[in-house]
Amino acid sequence: MPKQELDADELFNLALSIVGIVLRDGSMQVTELANHFDVSERAIEKAVKVIANSEDIANYETHFEVQDWLLEEGEVSFTPGRSNLTRPPVLSQRQAVALGTGLEYLSSLPGFENNTDLETLRRKLIHSVTPVQVESNFSKNTELDLLRDAIRSGVSISCEYRNQKGETSMRQIDPLRIDFLGKRHYLRGWCRQNLEVRSFRLDRMIKLTATGEAISQDALAAEISENVYGEANQQIEVQVIAKPEAAEIFWNFPTSQRPELITGEYHGTIRIGNLASLGRHITRYGGQVRVIAPKEARLAVFGFAQSALLGIQKPENED
Amino acid sequence: MYKQTPAERLVTLTCCLLSRPSLGLSKNELFQAVTAYAQAGSDAAREKMFDRDKSAIREAGFILEVIGNDGFDDTDSARYRIQHSSFSWPEDFELTPQMLQLLEIAGKAWNSQMMGDAARSGIMRLRSLGLIPMSTDLAMLSPRLLAQHPAFAPLANSISMNQMARFNYRKADLSEQIREVSPKKLRQLAGEWVLLADENGQIKNFLLRRIVSSVSELPDSATVVSLAAIDQAEAELLIHVENQVAKIEIAPDTEAFWHFNPGPELIVDLNYMDEALLAEDLMEYGSDLVVLEPTSLAKRISESLLRVVELHA
Repeated sequence: MPKQELDADELFNLALSIVGIVLRDGSMQVTELANHFDVSERAIEKAVKVIANSEDIANYETHFEVQDWLLEEGEVSFTPGRSNLTRPPVLSQRQAVALGTGLEYLSSLPGFENNTDLETLRRKLIHSVTPVQVESNFSKNTELDLLRDAIRSGVSISCEYRNQKGETSMRQIDPLRIDFLGKRHYLRGWCRQNLEVRSFRLDRMIKLTATGEAISQDALAAEISENVYGEANQQIEVQVIAKPEAAEIFWNFPTSQRPELITGEYHGTIRIGNLASLGRHITRYGGQVRVIAPKEARLAVFGFAQSALLGIQKPENED
Repeated sequence: MYKQTPAERLVTLTCCLLSRPSLGLSKNELFQAVTAYAQAGSDAAREKMFDRDKSAIREAGFILEVIGNDGFDDTDSARYRIQHSSFSWPEDFELTPQMLQLLEIAGKAWNSQMMGDAARSGIMRLRSLGLIPMSTDLAMLSPRLLAQHPAFAPLANSISMNQMARFNYRKADLSEQIREVSPKKLRQLAGEWVLLADENGQIKNFLLRRIVSSVSELPDSATVVSLAAIDQAEAELLIHVENQVAKIEIAPDTEAFWHFNPGPELIVDLNYMDEALLAEDLMEYGSDLVVLEPTSLAKRISESLLRVVELHA
């Protein structure tokens, strides 16, 4: 959904961008510009009014001659007037670092290697040297290729899948999208067993095959949430305290509000779907994250860590 | 009386500054030309607004010069102008639908994280280069760049601005020190963001997650380090990783078994950069695995698990 409300800096940026495209390509429809810039029509109208209201009151000079009556009919049309602004400036430092980092990241992922367009963008457009390097050690390229082909061809796949509770089952999945998320990679797809879009970790899938069967209408109509870890409406709220080194716990789960820094530690609440996997997520931080409530969540962590500890302390002469 | 919005003020100021590309305008001339400045309730409010707008214009990518007063800002005789090179888009560059899609994916990779806004506004500006349709060839891929650590953006900025930076760094042994460094590069290794920086003539690696304070940019310029020295430091880190090997025994038919895919002997060798980080990754598998070597790693895991048990008992 396009952004409805823009702050002053965003509106300034949009106004500069509209100046650039309209003075280059001529008048355009509000709807066309809204689609192009992925903002609402209202945002376009506001930005055009920003352009229209620009004037030098000391010298009685209007910077742009905007056709107000055309704007009322949904068309954006103006000429430069007394302004020398005909195009936006090149990318700002921050924009270049953000996009440059994103492009560097893409170039490290399977599916983007040897992409000549990517190379051109990095070389010509990102004018500053982007000081970022992302290394990927993804090892399931064969599976990834199979999934990409299946998505392109619109066919379902089947595999053996082990879920986060440790349960293994055969699945038929209509593959929709592949999400690369830090070290982990997920298939987002319509699960024919559960009849909903689910996230499947690629390293938990084995014996992956394309079935040749077309993906279902349900899959085609399904919406994929942006949140791969789960929805913000997940039912169980877990209160945790994390040291700064482990603050990422709040980024890895949906949260109802930003964690608060109190005497050098982050206090906050994460939302989870079930307690089965909480133990592993908390235990990995070796005490840098502790669960405060509810009691069942504390018990889940205690149980996981104690079982791991007992596993380590098994007798050497075990049969 | 008509009141200019902040966005209108910024566009007006930009256009006024561009109207005198050579001579520039003095602050007083700008105060008379821009409606919001002329209508400001007090000198202090006007000055504050002007300072904020100068920053906004610079942050938007314009090169705002101060001339006629030895480059010192904020004096009555200073004149302001926007450098023509602010508009130096590459001459032989044409955005294609495929490139636009790549930029969209690169921008979306930030999701709603700290640089997400900058990426989105950058794409918006690039879209002003023409009404180009976007390719959908790569629509099935959705990468997410996880760089939510608050130190990331200021360090990326310090590197780009060639400035030194200061932060508190807490090592794995919990000792904490203030570090003043010349940041050179941010790298993501095995899922962890690492800062490569020069500290007192030595190139060192700092894990972002162990930066436990905000990062402040220092007024001093960063020290100059040759590319060869950076390459050498990176190569040394790789050698370090190659030499650090942990031997892990994996329980069959467990999640660890699926993940590490060990051979029939159920043993895997893992190279690692940092023992504490490897311990974290391994502890996630609970009783699915046992560390055989090195003993320091096994001891670290055992102590950490005990700490978790005690904290949740």
